Amino acid sequence: MTGLGRRTLLVVAVLVTMGYQIHAQHGGPSLPSVQLNVDDLGPRSIEDLTSKSVPRDYALAWQTMARALAENRVDLLNGYFTGLAKEKLTQRIEAQRKAGIHVIYTDRGHKLTGLFYSPAGDAMQLRDNAQLEIQTLDGNTLLQKEQVGLQYMVIMTPGADRWLVRDLQTTQKH
Amino acid sequence: MRHYFPILLCLVACLLPGVAAAADLHPPAQVTAGSDFSIASDANGEGTFYLVGPANVSKRKVMVNGSIAVDGEEIEGAGRYTAILCVSGHCDSAAFFVQPDAPSRLSLLVHPSRVRVNAPNAISAAAFVFDKYRNMILAPQNVQFSATPREGNATTTTRSAENGVAWIRLTSASKEGPAKIGATIGKATEVRVVQQVASEACNLRIKANWISRQLWVETDPIRDCSGNAVPDGTVISFTKLDDSGKTTVDAPVKRGIARVQMPVQGNARISVASGVVTGNEIQMAGER
Repeated sequence: MTGLGRRTLLVVAVLVTMGYQIHAQHGGPSLPSVQLNVDDLGPRSIEDLTSKSVPRDYALAWQTMARALAENRVDLLNGYFTGLAKEKLTQRIEAQRKAGIHVIYTDRGHKLTGLFYSPAGDAMQLRDNAQLEIQTLDGNTLLQKEQVGLQYMVIMTPGADRWLVRDLQTTQKH
Repeated sequence: MRHYFPILLCLVACLLPGVAAAADLHPPAQVTAGSDFSIASDANGEGTFYLVGPANVSKRKVMVNGSIAVDGEEIEGAGRYTAILCVSGHCDSAAFFVQPDAPSRLSLLVHPSRVRVNAPNAISAAAFVFDKYRNMILAPQNVQFSATPREGNATTTTRSAENGVAWIRLTSASKEGPAKIGATIGKATEVRVVQQVASEACNLRIKANWISRQLWVETDPIRDCSGNAVPDGTVISFTKLDDSGKTTVDAPVKRGIARVQMPVQGNARISVASGVVTGNEIQMAGER
């Protein structure tokens, strides 16, 4: 093997190890990409900091939700969900666990459109166009696998240090 | 090779779940949350039926005879559902949407909880429309907002909810006291209370009196420009300029007035202020 070949192999090995370590530390799905469009958001104008924290926290919410649904773990919802969204997801995970089912989401990204930002800044409504791969498993048996583009209506409210998902409802595209 | 092709095709079909269309499912185009319905199926015989929804997941053995009955309790959450039927090792699936039921709940956000009187567009109210299962209703709905002062009649305005949200801005009343801000849709009403408090002091006036060789300076009852008494605790600043120099004393309003005792050397000018509002100025001679 030439010197260049050995160096390339070393770099590849380091990258693979790093990737494995990051995945192992994280222990779950990677952070999905989220783009936020606020062109039609109103009546309140979005603040600079909020325009960064909403897509960041929404991505973290989806990451934790995907892990919670795959591992049937309700505790993972505490970080980024509250209100109705948390209640409904908790019900679903408990029902999944009872039925021995788990659902694996492979997240291909989200396009968020801001629809309503309350005058007092205490609630934001967004529409999400998400690209997902969904696998439904009964134990280890794959029941169904699909690639879908889904539309969600989202309500987020500010918490102490982050924006929380308060409602998350799939809606029919027209 | 040609002889093996049908066998290979059969193997692929048997190994990939969902590929073999042995149990086609045909859910209805429109389903309302909480209503019983059935999913048509071409399959016959015993199978396992799964229903995966936003807030509920169920699994049960079914005997399929052209259709599978689904209880309304299984589809109380609006959104996308996936129905899966597995018969003889072959699974088929179909997705369908459950629409929200009629509007019957509101979630109302009103801000702030305390506001000064006569403040233009200072109160905001946003109402989110839900059905009885707490599904957000996105179809346009009329929401009636009302503002009821402590004394007087309610004023109402109707706004159309867009994507499930209706909102309004209101100017606070000229009289202090609680105002009930409400939102109504059908039989559902939500109410929040906003406390309206006096605005800045207006027409501040002071007078001075010697009592037991001490000079006491006090205000007239302090009110805002609409005649509302400013709340106790509001800070009033008294400033004295005499031979000893300039002195400022802050005193809180107690029972509608503010009062301080000020030692005076020689002739003195005493003025009063509250925030950015200034009052009259009085001149006093030294100790009698």
